[in-house]
Amino acid sequence: MADIIASARAQGRSLLTEVESKQLLADAGIPVALAHLATSQKRAVEVAAELGYPVVLKVVSADIAHKSDVGGVAVGLGDAKAVRKAFKDMMARVAEAAPDAHIDGVAVQSMAKQGIEVIVGATTDPQFGPVMMFGLGGVFVEVLKDVAFRIIPLEPRDARQMVREIKGLPILQGVRGQPPADIEALEALILSVSEFVAAHPEVAELDLNPVFAYEDGVIAVDARIVLAEPAGVPS
Amino acid sequence: MNVERARLHRALNPRSVAVVGDKGPQYQWLSNLSEFSGNVYSVQLDEKEIPGIVEKGIQNFSSLNDIPEDVDLVICAVPRQVTPFIVADAVKKQAGGMAMFSSGFVETGEEIGAQLQDQIVSAARAGGLPLVGPNCMGVYNRRLGVKFMQGQEKGEGGDLSVISQSGTHGISLTAGAQALGIRVTRTISIGNAAVLNEADYLEYLRDDPETPVIVMYLEGVRDGRRFAALLRDVTRVKPVVIWRGGRTTAGSRAAQSHTASLASNDAIWGALMRQAGAISADSVEEALDAAQALVRLPRSDRRNLALIAMTGGQSVAITDQFARAGFGVPELSARSYERLSEFFVTIGGSYRNPFDAASTIGRETDNLAKILDILAGDPVIEGVAVEMQARDFDKSTERLDATIEVLKTYRERTGLPVVTLLPEGGIGAANPTMAVAARFHVGRAGFAVYPSFARGAAALGRVTDYWQWRSEVEA
Repeated sequence: MADIIASARAQGRSLLTEVESKQLLADAGIPVALAHLATSQKRAVEVAAELGYPVVLKVVSADIAHKSDVGGVAVGLGDAKAVRKAFKDMMARVAEAAPDAHIDGVAVQSMAKQGIEVIVGATTDPQFGPVMMFGLGGVFVEVLKDVAFRIIPLEPRDARQMVREIKGLPILQGVRGQPPADIEALEALILSVSEFVAAHPEVAELDLNPVFAYEDGVIAVDARIVLAEPAGVPS
Repeated sequence: MNVERARLHRALNPRSVAVVGDKGPQYQWLSNLSEFSGNVYSVQLDEKEIPGIVEKGIQNFSSLNDIPEDVDLVICAVPRQVTPFIVADAVKKQAGGMAMFSSGFVETGEEIGAQLQDQIVSAARAGGLPLVGPNCMGVYNRRLGVKFMQGQEKGEGGDLSVISQSGTHGISLTAGAQALGIRVTRTISIGNAAVLNEADYLEYLRDDPETPVIVMYLEGVRDGRRFAALLRDVTRVKPVVIWRGGRTTAGSRAAQSHTASLASNDAIWGALMRQAGAISADSVEEALDAAQALVRLPRSDRRNLALIAMTGGQSVAITDQFARAGFGVPELSARSYERLSEFFVTIGGSYRNPFDAASTIGRETDNLAKILDILAGDPVIEGVAVEMQARDFDKSTERLDATIEVLKTYRERTGLPVVTLLPEGGIGAANPTMAVAARFHVGRAGFAVYPSFARGAAALGRVTDYWQWRSEVEA
């Protein structure tokens, strides 16, 4: 943990890459779809073969905040040929859309099967310090802002209430014949993120967006961590 | 806490008070102490002001350090530029604490104000002096008769205490509670909260055996982490009502994550209230409505009510409001219906619950007593809300008093919540001023009383939510 954060800071970065963010979270026992950095087309294919198809490629660059905006995401890649082509095309698209960005490579991860999308996040409130958020993903968070907050550290009852506080709760409970989400696993995820943030004051902001919630278990498919400015260094 | 707890206790429960810098013709600070049980001293150098002080029978000194006994509380009302000297004197005197009415500090936004505040804060901290304020009305203590305005009562006992960032709201919460017959143990106007902050006062009131309920008016908190942790702790011991003013977006900033972009000040406060089980209020009315329910009603997390309204239209309105606030209006037992059918006037009335009862209760209270007797014996009913009638209240209180007695009997017998409602609408619409006067009469008789069904239902709802939360966290 210290290594990843120290090296990011040494490079003057406050935004961790997806690969770094997920590694930190996985080390803390938080369920994430681990992403592996591949710096070449050849390596991307090797990693994909190790993980098993289908896979997802995402561009890795500390200079790019929104990967999909620059064509930096390719999903549903079913074989080595598809990975090779996706890698080449992505590099070309990104180079055009963000010519000044330094590209570390691509993150290769197993393609998680679609679940109910939720967001779990943390940020630092100027008055109350670290706080946590939970909500349904996609339009629910973007447009309806149907989210619940709590101040860290959370008690188990806080996680229980957060999940039940959102208006979209029936979606998690299963509507129109859809299977329900594993609400206990969501509560456990919220609590483990609370512990992670409480234990690591260097983390200023964190988004797990989306998290896929299944009938049995949950997994964070994308993750982003923003570090606090080190004390004594002006932002 | 920034200062020693015993010393703060001394300042908030003084046996001797010195007022520095009071001015005629009113000498408001000295006059506010006319009922104070301990010794009052004055410190004033202005020759023009001294004769008026002596005339009031108060000894005047030229310095705090000339006063021949210990001073527990210094009330400082000097111009801001003099305050550093008074703080230094109080530190030297080893006074219990100081309430600083003087203003003109950081709240002005001026450099000089900020500098002066820094000066008095460091001096008070260095000297261990609990400083309330500056820029505040100071402290009210009911039992001892320490007041910061004339209307504050002196007397034994207390039902709640107030902490207010605003002097005005501290006064209005205190006066509003008193008007309803609620005894305010203490009110602390915290002003700029420069030495002692919100958390210090909250912690003090948590441990104050004379404070069963805490009501706060806050615009923000200085030490959010400590306040949040403490609040979660205090609400497990006694209820806390927080009216928050000044819902600004200050503090929102450029965010790199979704979470940060959604974390508005309002969202986080709301989260804190829910997480800590504090009762949230948006106005002085809401704060007092909840306070009444906490002070006047027994602890109950149960929700099945009998609703007694005076007319058919009102029985619909009362049901809408209480249902919206999360209450059930269940059918009574067959036995209850059988007994009600023996005397209830069903032409122009109904006893199904809600009750449409004017034709039965009429001008007598005997039938109300019978209804309540039946409800008291019905295990499905866990509390009552009753629309009262202010009719003829301007001529005599007799009728209302008789109703109050009947309600008291029910309350004593069952130990269940009784909410009384004197709406300005409904049958009282023709004479709203009478309803207002009657309301204070009912309040002083010891009942939670509300001017509308909506406010009564909302207050009972908030307080029931709190007791339910308490039961859950204690489980």
